[in-house]
Amino acid sequence: MKTVNSSNNIWLEVLRYSVKTAFKSIIHEKWINLLTVLTVSTGLTILSAFIMINTNVNSALQRWAKNFGVVVYLNEDASKEDEFILKKRFSEDADIENVNFVSKDRAFEEIKKTLGPNALILDVFNENPLPSSFEFRLKSNSLVPSVVKQKAAQIGQWPGVQEVQYGEKWLASLNTIVNAMKIVSIIFGTAIFIAVTFITYSTIRIFLHRRKEEIETLKLLGASRSFIRLPFLMEGLFIGTMGGALSSLAIFGLYSFTMYKMVEFLPAIRFIVSSLPLYVYLIIPAAGAAMSLAGSFMAIGKIRY
Amino acid sequence: MIVFADVTKRFGKKAVLDSISINIKKGDLLFITGPSGAGKTTLLKLIYCSERPDAGHITVADWEVSRLSQRGIPELRRNIGIIFQDFKLLPNRTVFDNVALALSIHGMNPGKIRHYVNEVLEEVKLMDKANLFPQFLSGGEQQRVVIARAMVSKPLVLLADEPTGDLDVDNAKAIMELFSKINGKGTTVLVATHDETLFQGSGYRVIYLNDHYIEKEYMG
Ligand SMILES: Nc1ncnc2c1ncn2[C@@H]1O[C@H](COP(=O)(O)OP(=O)(O)OP(=O)(O)O)[C@@H](O)[C@H]1O
Ligand SMILES: [Mg+2]
Repeated sequence: MKTVNSSNNIWLEVLRYSVKTAFKSIIHEKWINLLTVLTVSTGLTILSAFIMINTNVNSALQRWAKNFGVVVYLNEDASKEDEFILKKRFSEDADIENVNFVSKDRAFEEIKKTLGPNALILDVFNENPLPSSFEFRLKSNSLVPSVVKQKAAQIGQWPGVQEVQYGEKWLASLNTIVNAMKIVSIIFGTAIFIAVTFITYSTIRIFLHRRKEEIETLKLLGASRSFIRLPFLMEGLFIGTMGGALSSLAIFGLYSFTMYKMVEFLPAIRFIVSSLPLYVYLIIPAAGAAMSLAGSFMAIGKIRY
Repeated sequence: MIVFADVTKRFGKKAVLDSISINIKKGDLLFITGPSGAGKTTLLKLIYCSERPDAGHITVADWEVSRLSQRGIPELRRNIGIIFQDFKLLPNRTVFDNVALALSIHGMNPGKIRHYVNEVLEEVKLMDKANLFPQFLSGGEQQRVVIARAMVSKPLVLLADEPTGDLDVDNAKAIMELFSKINGKGTTVLVATHDETLFQGSGYRVIYLNDHYIEKEYMG
């Protein structure tokens, strides 16, 4: 039952009204809004700076992990068939890449090359004392100590295998660093999420309180739930997005400044410190918007209607 | 249009309305009167669900008001124009915006809103005050803003709680003429007042509330 001629698109009008009301409030309550935006952007800047450091450490670790190799030494009496089967098994294993067979003779040649003129000492051996071996690398996602250990033990059982060697300690410390970073990231991210959400929540609560009478009157006039709530959500959305945008600017500034200053002393920094990927600069405002929206939602949940 | 069937409303132990039955037909204009504290405002609040009855049934048009869920209330209220005894004007909005709000909540577009608001402000003779804030208006002018806000959406039912409390005789008469006019267009009008001059000799139906029940009903 409609008593006045409503426009065809009620939702569009409610949205238009909400945006208008939100902007009026943003201007009217400019100081508290500015303060909230700045606080949100500080939180997000800290988070993004952390992400930037994390990305850089991670890529350094990736590069480092590339050098992790496993060497499988073969028995003196390993047959051609053993070699063939081993080679087949290694190349079929999805975790293994860059498989390389170093024959007894080639190992001898290489050591001779390394020793150069001192190679004469090798003459004391009647025979070539070096074993044949397989060398390979593991994909970075399978560089977990327990996995590698298990794999090495398994390979050690295969016919023709004398010994499996790899940098066990090195791998353990790499793993510790990666895990620590993961945990710190989760804790840090959660803390910032809670902080930003809570800041917006408090600000929207203040606005709700200040506009309590207005809300009561709106209810009596028959305003729908969304008509009352949407302006507050819009304001929260604005706070989060602005906070995020400011933070993106700050991060970009921080990065540019660091590069500019550091390159003077350490030209190689250009290759070590990578910038944040471009999409991150868009994700920060989006994340801010999402966090603030969550806070606003929690705040307007207090409106009983 | 509005039916009260054995409606009881208590505040604590004290019954303010005790087993009241009223039948108001569509297009009626009716007065509720009685001494201060008789329950006039409470009766109106029951109609727009600001208070819920402790017993009995209330229906307004197709709405079972006494059983209406929270979610159903806004739509009911959008079809009722209310002139509040304490005005409830928003101090941070102009006269125009206060009246426009009643149309915004219907999801009306700004162009139409402007048209209807100007029309109603013309009717209550407040065109020249449209851009002022309520606190700069006299009591009588504020009263007329509230009336304009209640009328602008052309509601099914108009509830007026002491609509002439702050007005002189001439203005009160003008307001009553406005109500007759709205009523003439088919809106059901309910006026709660203790100002007998409003209905004496008017020929309209009058319900006299006293001591939590309907003491008498007569033609004014
Ligand atoms: N929310 C409430 N809680 C407790 N008592 C209430 C409440 N609302 C109203 N009352 C009481 O109910 C009685 C009727 O109040 P109501 O406002 O309906 O009177 P009224 O007829 O409108 O009076 P007036 O002519 O002064 O406006 C009064 O005694 C009042 O104190
Ligand atoms: Mg009253």
